[in-house]
Amino acid sequence: MTTARTESLLQPRPTPIVAFVSISLVVHVLFAAFLTIFSWLFSPPRLSMDPEPIKASLVRLGKKRDEKLLPRKEEPPPPPPPAEKAAPAPVAAPPDKAVALPSKDAKVEPKKDTAKEPAKDTKKSLFDAFNKTGRAASQEAPEGDEAGDKDGDSAKQEGERYYGLLSAVVKRNYDVSDTIPENERRTLKATVVIKLGATGELLDVDLSKASGNELFDAAVLGAIKKAAPFGPPPEHLRDSLKKNGVALVFSP
Amino acid sequence: MKPLVSALLFLVAVPALAQQTVIEISGAHFRPMPMALPVPLAQDDGAKAVAAEFDSALFFDLQACGLFQVLDRKSYLADSKEGVTAATITFQNWLNVGAETLIKTQLSKDGDTLRADLRLFNVNAGREELKASEAAPAKDARRLAHKLANAVYKHFTKETGPFESRIAFVRKTAGGKDVYLADWDGKNAAAVSSGNINVLPAVAPDRSVAFTSYKRGKPELFLGRAGGDSTPLVANGRMVAGVDFSPDGKRIAYSVSDGENAEIYVANADGSGATKVTDTKYFLNSSPCFSPDGKKLAFVSNRGGSPQVYVMNADGSDVKRLTFQGNYNQTPAWSPRGDLIAFTARDERNAFDLFTVEVATGKVKRLTQDTKNNEEPSFSPNGRLILFTSTRGGSKSLYVMTFDGNNQIALPLDKGDYTTPDWGP
Repeated sequence: MTTARTESLLQPRPTPIVAFVSISLVVHVLFAAFLTIFSWLFSPPRLSMDPEPIKASLVRLGKKRDEKLLPRKEEPPPPPPPAEKAAPAPVAAPPDKAVALPSKDAKVEPKKDTAKEPAKDTKKSLFDAFNKTGRAASQEAPEGDEAGDKDGDSAKQEGERYYGLLSAVVKRNYDVSDTIPENERRTLKATVVIKLGATGELLDVDLSKASGNELFDAAVLGAIKKAAPFGPPPEHLRDSLKKNGVALVFSP
Repeated sequence: MKPLVSALLFLVAVPALAQQTVIEISGAHFRPMPMALPVPLAQDDGAKAVAAEFDSALFFDLQACGLFQVLDRKSYLADSKEGVTAATITFQNWLNVGAETLIKTQLSKDGDTLRADLRLFNVNAGREELKASEAAPAKDARRLAHKLANAVYKHFTKETGPFESRIAFVRKTAGGKDVYLADWDGKNAAAVSSGNINVLPAVAPDRSVAFTSYKRGKPELFLGRAGGDSTPLVANGRMVAGVDFSPDGKRIAYSVSDGENAEIYVANADGSGATKVTDTKYFLNSSPCFSPDGKKLAFVSNRGGSPQVYVMNADGSDVKRLTFQGNYNQTPAWSPRGDLIAFTARDERNAFDLFTVEVATGKVKRLTQDTKNNEEPSFSPNGRLILFTSTRGGSKSLYVMTFDGNNQIALPLDKGDYTTPDWGP
């Protein structure tokens, strides 16, 4: 028999909500625990979100200079080899007098004059010793590192090869006006993000952080434009260079 | 459940994908700014007579200071009678020849006074950035040009230019060697000494010149002025040479040789109160040079076996060897900026060349190379230029370059043999 009291909406009744909330809570806790354990067990090595700068400069190939000697001025890198031209019509060379010019890599053979075998008098050996330094100096190879690269522009630093090449070619065109005061130079910094295509062509250039100096900003943008196109990037960098690009942080 | 976990894992991986490679690029090639400098417009005949002199001085100043590359006038496309205001200039013509800056000058003469007006334009923006006017006696057309060159220099660098400073140097004469004081470009030279052998000048802040003279047999120090007589400064019967003034002009440093050794002394500017600040029996200490704050001295000593550059406090304490490369380093000159000391060194090829050494780190940098012998550096008052001697043109002559060894240019001097320059204020 139903009464008005039992029908009242104020009368407490059993409800599934408590059970549902409890189960849901347990499931969430378990899920969170699972994710934590899963990510702890299977996650890749942690990546730092702060971009680490790459100091990329190719090391020049060569022999290291004796540190006790006074430094030599760094020579500019050799110009790129000229484009291949059609072979000129053969010209008959004079048979005996023609002397082949030595190539840069060819070893210089010491001249042997059989007719004048060196007389081992003390005067000559003294002069030989005296002149040795001068002769050696004129034929010496450029200084650098034995594990370096022919296109390297630095004798000291090294970095990943593609970024090293990219950095070197931009640096070669990195001309800034000398009129920027020295005290201002110390604080100048500009960031340019460039995106590259599969063949190394420049897809996008963005001055993402200007230096505040009109001349400097124009110079860094000019350096990139003059340096482009770059060489084709390696397969594993292509996607990243196209989508995210590479940030070039310029300082004087 | 599985798609949810995959989605969550993707979200974790996204930041890693978005990470961007950063390459730091430094070591810019600071290059002179391309500048067009057409000949001055002379307003009258009087101005025309001195226009060439004014023009050559302005051209040399701007070219030699290393900040600008003054473009070859033959390449200019603009009409030589083009106006001097932004509204009358066709900037495209200047852009087409590669100019980034354009300077126009106008000369007029009123009585004996020569007046020069200079306007500097930013060619890319097509706007006037500097207007300067100066006047001077007509005979000082070169010095008028130096004043305006200083205005241009200051516009870009915010520093006082070196173009109104003076240099002293030694020139071989029929009767020996004489000391001269001249404008920074070597022009307007006036003799400080007369006859016999006079060498190693040093310019004081008041533009008097101390030098070593052999006129009484032994080397002694004398003090003189351009066009005036010289008087003994340190003449005590010993062999005294190689003087330098402290930056405030109140003290001098010099070396005294006693046959088997040479020691450095510091004295008041009039030669009184001399104090010996080195004491190394059997070794040579010479070529003292004050630091810009006057508290230290750079000098040459062979106490380590070969001539090397050392620094010490001006009272002789705290001696430190600064150069360790090479075995014949001499003639130190301390930059007015304080950071560098320039010196002459003989390298392994037996060539004399110029180098700088960083005072803080001892790092040595080469400034000259493969241009015969280059010696005796002296910094400009602002430390941006170095005056030196070179035999690259045959006889020993004076050259100027930037402190980092760029833009090496000969001073426009008459033929002769020039040595031991010193750049004063």
